[in-house]
Amino acid sequence: MFLITCPFCGEREQSEFKAGGEAHIIRPKQPTELSDDEWAEYLFMRKNIKGVQLERWNHANGCRKWFNAVRDTNNDEIKAIYKMGEKPPSI
Amino acid sequence: MLNYNTSIKQDKIYSDLEIKEIKPIMKLIIRGKTKDFITAIGKNLNMILPIEANTSTAGEALTALWLSPDEWMLISNKTISEETNTYEVEDNLIKNISKTKLGAITDVSDQFVMINIKGNKVFDLFATGSPFNFNEFKNKKGSVTQTILSHIDVIIHLTEINNVNLFVRRSFSKHLHSWLNDSASRL
Repeated sequence: MFLITCPFCGEREQSEFKAGGEAHIIRPKQPTELSDDEWAEYLFMRKNIKGVQLERWNHANGCRKWFNAVRDTNNDEIKAIYKMGEKPPSI
Repeated sequence: MLNYNTSIKQDKIYSDLEIKEIKPIMKLIIRGKTKDFITAIGKNLNMILPIEANTSTAGEALTALWLSPDEWMLISNKTISEETNTYEVEDNLIKNISKTKLGAITDVSDQFVMINIKGNKVFDLFATGSPFNFNEFKNKKGSVTQTILSHIDVIIHLTEINNVNLFVRRSFSKHLHSWLNDSASRL
């Protein structure tokens, strides 16, 4: 369990949030032109790194807004929070 | 609001704690993002929607609760007639907000149940089943939060010190009320 600062509501406990996986995965512009392997790569393949990762989170039991977080997967430290559409901070 | 069966059959009183449903209360969800929307709402309701997170604003007849940057809950301060489920405020807002495509108005009067809990042990009760830190909340009249209580989504509004209105979806209200009573009896 750890605390996450929602950019709208403030500091809340993790149980109020839902993790949305890796952030900044861009949907292919022409999905019909992709091979099955390329489509599977977009849909399923994630980096799942040990270290600092950019993630999407949703404050599901609060304001229900999506936002991005920079989380260290080693120790669950949230290094930064930024809103959807914003560029990730350099860490 | 028309006749319906409530799951909360009786008011409960414990030492330093009172739990009762207040009904019927008009409840509207208002959604919108633009400056024009905020201005139009202000003109229609004669009150300003709270912009600051986790706060509320109260007028003579209505109170607006902040739910998210583009969503508010509008409630009537007093109980309304049980004979109808049409409200003048809703009609005005639908005419001037929904139909002009400035925002969206949804009537949730019957969807949400409002439970009033008051007494010195209100926050002791919440502490038994919520991950939210009420330390600042409980001293700031008008505070609003959406959080979890006994694994159930709730909206909590501090109307006075040690006096809160709790909004819960009707389908969860029986279970939550039962849990509140069980927990209150053990404090």
